[in-house]
Amino acid sequence: MPTRIRLLNGAFALVEDPFTTVDDDTAIPPGDVIISLTRFQAEGERLLAECRKVGVRLESHEEVEALTYDLPRLAVVALVFPKFLDGRAYTYARLLRERFGFKGEVRAVGDVLREEAGYMLRCGFDAFVPADGSTPEDWDRATHRFRHVYQRSVDGRSPAYVERGE
Amino acid sequence: MRALTANRLTDGEVVFWKQGQWVERFADAELFAPDDAEAEAAEAHAKNQITLVVEPYLIDLMESEGLWAPVSYRERIRALGPTNLNHGKQEEGGAFVEALLHASGAARSKGRVDLIRRK
Amino acid sequence: MYQYDTLDKEFLADRSAEFRGQVARRLAGELNEDQFKRLRLMNGLYLQLHAYMLRVAIPYGSLNPTQLRKLAWIARTYDKGYGHFTTRTNLQLHWIKLADAPDIMDHLVSVDMHAIQTSGNCIRNVSADPYAGATAEEIDDPRVWAEAIRQWSTVHPEFTFLARKFKIAVTASPKDRTAAKTHDIGLHLKRARDGSLGFEVMVGGGLGRMPHIAPTIREFLPANRLLSYLEAILRIYNRQGRRDNIHKARIKIVVASLGVEEFARQVEAEWEKIGTAPDLPDTELARIRGAFAPKTFEILPAVSEALEAARAAEPAFARFARNNLKPHKQPGYGIVEVSLKAIGETPGDATSEQMEAVADLAERYGQNDIRVTHEQNLVLPHVKLDDAPAVWKALAAVGLATPNMNLVSDIIACPGLDYCALANARAISVAQNIAAKFADQDRAELVGELKIKISGCINACGHHHVGHIGILGVDKKGEEFYQLTLGGSGAEDAAVGQALGPALPYDRVAGAVDTLVDVYLRERKDGERFLDTFRRTGVAPFKEAVYADAN
Ligand code: SF4
Repeated sequence: MPTRIRLLNGAFALVEDPFTTVDDDTAIPPGDVIISLTRFQAEGERLLAECRKVGVRLESHEEVEALTYDLPRLAVVALVFPKFLDGRAYTYARLLRERFGFKGEVRAVGDVLREEAGYMLRCGFDAFVPADGSTPEDWDRATHRFRHVYQRSVDGRSPAYVERGE
Repeated sequence: MRALTANRLTDGEVVFWKQGQWVERFADAELFAPDDAEAEAAEAHAKNQITLVVEPYLIDLMESEGLWAPVSYRERIRALGPTNLNHGKQEEGGAFVEALLHASGAARSKGRVDLIRRK
Repeated sequence: MYQYDTLDKEFLADRSAEFRGQVARRLAGELNEDQFKRLRLMNGLYLQLHAYMLRVAIPYGSLNPTQLRKLAWIARTYDKGYGHFTTRTNLQLHWIKLADAPDIMDHLVSVDMHAIQTSGNCIRNVSADPYAGATAEEIDDPRVWAEAIRQWSTVHPEFTFLARKFKIAVTASPKDRTAAKTHDIGLHLKRARDGSLGFEVMVGGGLGRMPHIAPTIREFLPANRLLSYLEAILRIYNRQGRRDNIHKARIKIVVASLGVEEFARQVEAEWEKIGTAPDLPDTELARIRGAFAPKTFEILPAVSEALEAARAAEPAFARFARNNLKPHKQPGYGIVEVSLKAIGETPGDATSEQMEAVADLAERYGQNDIRVTHEQNLVLPHVKLDDAPAVWKALAAVGLATPNMNLVSDIIACPGLDYCALANARAISVAQNIAAKFADQDRAELVGELKIKISGCINACGHHHVGHIGILGVDKKGEEFYQLTLGGSGAEDAAVGQALGPALPYDRVAGAVDTLVDVYLRERKDGERFLDTFRRTGVAPFKEAVYADAN
C-alpha cells in the first residue's frame, strides 16, 4: 500500500493511502480513486453515484476554478508539481482553502521536496507524497524552522505585524 | 590538445585534472590528444566526484608561444583570473601565464556551453 | 533608519541556521550539485568563473556605518578585500569559499543583514530612491513602503517559485532615480487632493531579451492597500507567467500579451476578491514610519560660508561641489554623491578601506546614513554644507572623490566575462577604456549628462537598453563584440535605446563612443543633453560617423 505524509492536528505521520491514483488509460478499480480533471469531467458523476470517495488530480496548467462547483463532493484535490520550481500549485492550494472553502485533503504530488515543506504548509496543503525520500520527522523539522512569518496565510499563523502588537 | 577542468566544491577554485588529481595551475594540467579516449574517461570519472568538484568538462587548447592555451577567451580568463585586477592566478607570472595572455584568436569551446547551463 | 527588532533578528538567525545545514549536507555528499544549487541560490550564493559569489541584499539600498564596516571586514577576511555594488543596490563578493559561507551568513546576521532572495524566481531585493528622506522633491518617504514590501515579500509562501525573477522599485519624486519603469512593478508615491497617499502602479517593465517600459495600470492606489494589490498582481503572474520559455517568462510578457487594459482588469477583479481591509494595522505602519522619521536637522543658513570659501580657494573642490553635491530639503545641508567610478577603476567596486572610510564619514558628518544607488555609487544623504569640504578631503584621500556624477565616465557596468558565468564579453574593461578617453574633467563637464550602461550579455544587469549610450557584449565565434544602442533612458522619460548598427569589435568600442560624443557636440543646440540631441536628430548622423570611421 503506498503511503503519504499526512498532517493531522498539527502532527506529521506516515499514513496509508486509501486512494488509488488512476491514470487516464487504466480501467477504474473498485474503491476510492484519484483521477485527472479530464476524466473527472467525463466520469465523475457516475463514480460519485457509486458511493465511493473521489479525488481529482490537477495539473499545474489547469484552472482550479474548474472544480469550484464539485468541491463539496470531492475528498481530495491532488495538486501536481511537475518540477519544484513550478509554483502555481501554491496559489491553487491557497485559493482552494481561502476562497472556495475546501475542507478535504489538499495533497502535494510530483516533485515534492522537504525544502518546500514550509511554503506548502502555509498555503494549505495537508498531505504530501515526497519525491526525496523525506520522512515525517524531516517535514516536522522543516515546518518548524522559522519562529516567525511575515504574511498572513492559510495556516493561521500570526504574521510579524500581529505578533508585534501582542 | 585538450584539458579537463572544473571548479572545486569547497572553495570554487578553478582546477585542472592531472593524472587523477586536481591541480590549481593550468600549467600543470594533463594534456589529452584530441582523439585520446582517456579524456572522456577522466571526465566521466570526475563527474562522480561530487564531493570534490562541480561540473567538470573538457576544454580545447591551442598552441601559443610554444606552449598551450585554452581556445576560448572565457577559459583563458578562468585559467588566469579577471582582466581588471591582477589578483587571480595570473599573479604568479611566468611563461605559461604569458602564453595565455598572448594567445590570439578565440573560439567557442564545448566547456562554455556546459557552464552556461550551470546557473 | 529601520531597526530590526527581535522578530526580524530571530527570523534571520533561523534562516542562517537552515543554510548552514544545507551546506553541511552538500559537503557531506548528501545533496548533489543540482539539489544544492537551488538552495544556495535562494541565499544569493552563485558559482561563477573563479569562485563562489555571494550577493548580499541591501534592502532599498540603505546601510548604516556598522553594516558597511561589517561588509568591509567580511570582504577583507573572506574575500580579496573588495566588493562590487550592483544595479540592484546589492553587494557582490566575488571570491567566496563555500566552506566559509555559513560563517559569513552569521556575520551578516549579526548586523541585521542577509542574502535572502537575491537570486531565484522570487521577489528580489526591493529598491527605492537613494535620496529618500533627503530630497525636497519627494511627497513622502518611500522607504516606509519599501520596508513594508521587504517584510511582506520575505519567504512569501505563495510567491517564491514564480515563473521568473520579480523586481519592485518605490519612488516618491518626480525625478526617478530608481529606474522604476524598468521594473516588474514600479511604484510612484503620490498625494491626492484630499491629502491622502497613494501609488501610481506601473507593471511589466523589464530589461533583458525583449525590453519593456512599464505601462501604468492604476493611477492612484490607496497606500495602505498596496500589499493586497501586489498580492493580486503576483497571483495573476504566478498563474499566467510562462513556464515553457525562460525568455518569455517575465511579467512583461503577460502584460504585453493580455494588453494593458485586460491585465489591469484582471488585477482589479482579483484584488476585489481579496477584500477591502487595510493591509497593515495602523500601529505597524506607525512603527515603520517612526523608524524613518525625519532626522533632527540644525537650523542653518541656506548658504554656507565655509563651503563658499573652499569653493573659491580650491578649484578641485569647486568641481566636486558642482557635480557631486546635490540639494537637500533642509537649508544648510547637502546630499553628497560618492563616486565609485574613479577613472581606470572597476565601476561599482569598493575596497574594504574605502567602505570603512565612507562608514567613518557617515558617522562623523552624515547622521549614520549611507545609500547605494542603482547607478553603482554611494550617497551620504545628510551632510552639512559646512562639512562638505572636509568630507571631500577625506573621500579624495581614498580615491572616492571623482567629480563625475551623471557624466560620461559615470558608467554602469556589470561584472561581465571577468567574473560572470553567463557573460559573452567583458564589460569592466570596456568601461575603463571609455572612462580613460574622458579623464579630462573639463571635457567631461563640457559633454554634460551622458549615461553609458554596459552589460556583458543579454541579461542586461548593466541596464544597457536604457543607457543614453547602451553597450551590449555579444559573442561572435568566441570573440568579444559589442552592440551599441542610443537614446535609451531609465529615468522618468524612460525609453529603450535604438540599435546603432552592426556590432563592433572590442578595441573599437571606446573610439566609437568618442565619435558619438563628437557628433553630439557638433549637433547639439543650447541646453540639450546627449539624449535630447539624439531624440531630435535620430540615429543617422551618429551612425554615419561611427561606421564612416570603420571604412
Ligand atoms: S548582464 Fe550578463 S554578463 Fe553581466 S552580470 Fe548579468 S548575467 Fe552576467
